[in-house]
Amino acid sequence: MKKITIRKFIATLGASALIVGGTLTLIPSANAADPVVETTTGKLANGATYLMKVPARFNGTFFIWNHGFRPSYPYPSYTVPAGVEELTPYSVNLKADVTAQMLKAGYGVASYDRVSTGGLHGWNTTDGVEMLKDMVDTAHAKYTTIKKVVVYGSSGAAPVINQFIEKYPDKADAVGLMAGLTTPSAAIQSLCDYFYLLSVFADPTIKGCAAFGVAKGVAGHMAALGEFAKAGALLSGWSKDLGSLPLAYPAPLATSGIPQRSALLLSGLIVGLPTKSAHMDGISTSAVIAEQSINATVAILENSQDALGTGTLAGQAIGEITGPGFYDNTKTDWSALLSAADSGRYNLGLSGDDAIAGMLGVLKMMPRVKGDPAAVAKFKALDKINYTSDKPTILLSNDADRLVFAGNSALYVSNAQASYKARLAKYKAGTGTKPVWNTLALYALTPETYTKYTDKGLPDFTAAPAVSGVGHQSFTEAQMMGWVKLLAQSAKTGKAPSQKFVGSAIFAKIDPNLNTDPDFLPNLLKYKS
Amino acid sequence: MALVAGVTVSSLAVTALPATAATDPGVTSSEIVLGMQLPQSGPASPGYNKVDDAARAYFDYVNSKGGIYGRKVRLEVRDDQYKAGLTVSSASSLINKDKVFAFIGSIGTQTHISVISDINRRGIPDLFVNSGYSGFYTNPQTYPTTFAGLGTYVVESKIVGKYIKDTYPTKKVGILYQTDDFGRNALQGFTTAGLSFEAKKTAVNFIAGTQGSIGLASQLTALKANGVEIVIIAAVASATAIAVATAAQLGYKPDKWVVTSVGADATTFQTILGSKGVTPAVSAGMLAGIISASHAPSPGDTTDEYVAAFKKINDDFNKGPDKRWDNNVLQGMNIAYMATEALFGTGSNLTRKGIISYIENNGSKMSSAALSPLGYSRTSHEAFTAFWIGAYDGATVLKPITGTRVLYTTDSGTGPVTVSNYMRPALPADAIAKGA
Repeated sequence: MKKITIRKFIATLGASALIVGGTLTLIPSANAADPVVETTTGKLANGATYLMKVPARFNGTFFIWNHGFRPSYPYPSYTVPAGVEELTPYSVNLKADVTAQMLKAGYGVASYDRVSTGGLHGWNTTDGVEMLKDMVDTAHAKYTTIKKVVVYGSSGAAPVINQFIEKYPDKADAVGLMAGLTTPSAAIQSLCDYFYLLSVFADPTIKGCAAFGVAKGVAGHMAALGEFAKAGALLSGWSKDLGSLPLAYPAPLATSGIPQRSALLLSGLIVGLPTKSAHMDGISTSAVIAEQSINATVAILENSQDALGTGTLAGQAIGEITGPGFYDNTKTDWSALLSAADSGRYNLGLSGDDAIAGMLGVLKMMPRVKGDPAAVAKFKALDKINYTSDKPTILLSNDADRLVFAGNSALYVSNAQASYKARLAKYKAGTGTKPVWNTLALYALTPETYTKYTDKGLPDFTAAPAVSGVGHQSFTEAQMMGWVKLLAQSAKTGKAPSQKFVGSAIFAKIDPNLNTDPDFLPNLLKYKS
Repeated sequence: MALVAGVTVSSLAVTALPATAATDPGVTSSEIVLGMQLPQSGPASPGYNKVDDAARAYFDYVNSKGGIYGRKVRLEVRDDQYKAGLTVSSASSLINKDKVFAFIGSIGTQTHISVISDINRRGIPDLFVNSGYSGFYTNPQTYPTTFAGLGTYVVESKIVGKYIKDTYPTKKVGILYQTDDFGRNALQGFTTAGLSFEAKKTAVNFIAGTQGSIGLASQLTALKANGVEIVIIAAVASATAIAVATAAQLGYKPDKWVVTSVGADATTFQTILGSKGVTPAVSAGMLAGIISASHAPSPGDTTDEYVAAFKKINDDFNKGPDKRWDNNVLQGMNIAYMATEALFGTGSNLTRKGIISYIENNGSKMSSAALSPLGYSRTSHEAFTAFWIGAYDGATVLKPITGTRVLYTTDSGTGPVTVSNYMRPALPADAIAKGA
């Protein structure tokens, strides 16, 4: 199967190559050879293709994988995937999944292509829930030795899985969310903010999310990608000059002398982009890249490509559901989105207090994007869940995930805790059933330092990326299999390990870069809904 | 089936939401573990990198006297090189690997701001931070576990600002400040004291961290061109050194240099100029006459009982690579002295909540080497609320500017500056305060 990259798409538009390292692999390479006994393929009731593999020594625990968001339409360098493309958790960094390992461990594995009736992907959560149910029922019908079912998936599959387990709680015994999106509107709002900020500080022709959903189908997707192309052109330019040129926009700042990279850094901090990236650790310095000046900026630059690219396509897909005008920033307090800690820590990169005040002051005065109330309401309500599942749920995130920020996992846990407390209070007051706290959040961290510099003191983007903690759906084999085994164990016992378990010596042996601090919190999302 | 080798089903205990530990980390029957973060290496380290060894020397002294209720104090230190990214990872290491009971004396406003929220979220005492940024201390609801180890920049600047206004009423006053929380805080204090500045003419600034690369020539040229006669520097010591040296090159000789205490550390000043080939004698001459303020006795004042006692402890117990007695060593030992007092005062049943409560309820009664009272209470976690004003002599010793030391006090708000009659408690015979 082809490996499609946003980089290739940018190249087709004539823009120069972006920073190496920002590939978005939508279709993985072929799975490794699997030592299986039985393979089953077929179609679900709606025509979606499924694939199941069960080893000879099947232990009774069956994993059903759900892949993340996929666009529905072809565009230059992208072919819509056909058939099952991910059977088990896939690592973008390793370009490999863990099918062989899981089968060897005795688990059955299955997946389906998540294509809605009519052959479209897109933002099809509701369809996905019924497809998953059908997949579970199909697996049981075929393999009567199944004792436990784990439903797990990544990224945009999380809303599907979360809604599924609340609607069909008896259909699965454990839930796994890898780099999972918790509340789509919270994540996409920040993406839309990013487009808006780029339009203010760099390219006034960018419409960003205001252009999403205006047209549907191929035309709509091409229009959306046109917005991404504008952002891509900015990223290309900044990758060459590191944003050193003075701001040309907006007009009040055109003579300020503030370098463009300060506005890029400000924008990235406002939306919550990680200040660590595949090649920038936020600590290592050279004469050209001093840590407290533009090191974080270069990280944000490196992270932007995938964030904007995938977000564009997801935003367009969502816009086709909500209708255009789902983005509204008329009430956004930009100053409040820049934390005091970030303002202090990155003061040099932001060009100091006066520049920060200047940029925020002008930003406050810029025309806002007024959304369509009906579309905004649908957007905010998209994929809502109640956090009432008592099934063991284990989340796995990269601390510096550039696409689905790690704060999504923290938000899930926070919402789940609030629901648990409310239900516990009701139970103690005599109503409802006793809730069970059954959630565990795992985080893969980056090594402390990993940045390499060239002889000229510039970041070496051709060097190997950080082995852990960065990227979207980029985990080590040990991290993925550790997660899988915890899920299997939890499905068997009905109980997820407590958060204290991550502080144990046993957990520490799974992978050296998994967080072992039970009280760890990643950077939180800027929005909760 | 085992999850991983050695793990069985029963070991995967489920709890409700995370429960509070029965005992706090970092405390055993025999030991108390404290943590400190500071720049031990890198360009921001000169002077500051003596604080931890000084603090450890004091704790070693206390341990030699039996410790605190039989517990020895162990200080774990991490070098963050004044890089916020390392501050974050080193804080994590102190919390999760060393399992410190509390942080003490962490150095740096711009670095500490990266970890203060997380430390507070975890309920870890963050004691006697070596930063004068008032935003850390004036609202304990925001940072309930953080306590200052310096006077705030606002307090100091208000006091010094009033002195300038009263003493030099006809002189043109200008300010060079770094554009971050430190510089902003100091500027706030000077303007509250009644000094007024005009941006880019009598108030010039630079982005913190760039002073080495830009040399500050354009800023000083602007002050000179606008006839500034009294130059205030609200910046770190490296900026002071560069500003004074650059002014000399420009032929700019203000009537007076006035430097906030953080930027007037003699060791750092001379070390930085020394790295540029300036001899100690010459740099001492450059420092001479510079006005600054302090909450503590001069380290050269051997008639002061705290100075004398701490100096002896330093001589006997400091194992650091540079134990030369100066401001930084005095401050390090004072931090440890205060920490010891708080640990004793909390009692043998030592908890994190307990030590925070003790400091809040007894702050005004706690002693320290400082000549200033401590402002700790439930509504403020500020430390030293009084300063005396001095000028450096030719031997890099800060001496009271009028010959007699007068202590002034104010708040971090808009309260007036008044003379303080505070009398520092006498040093205990064994130089160990065992609780207020």
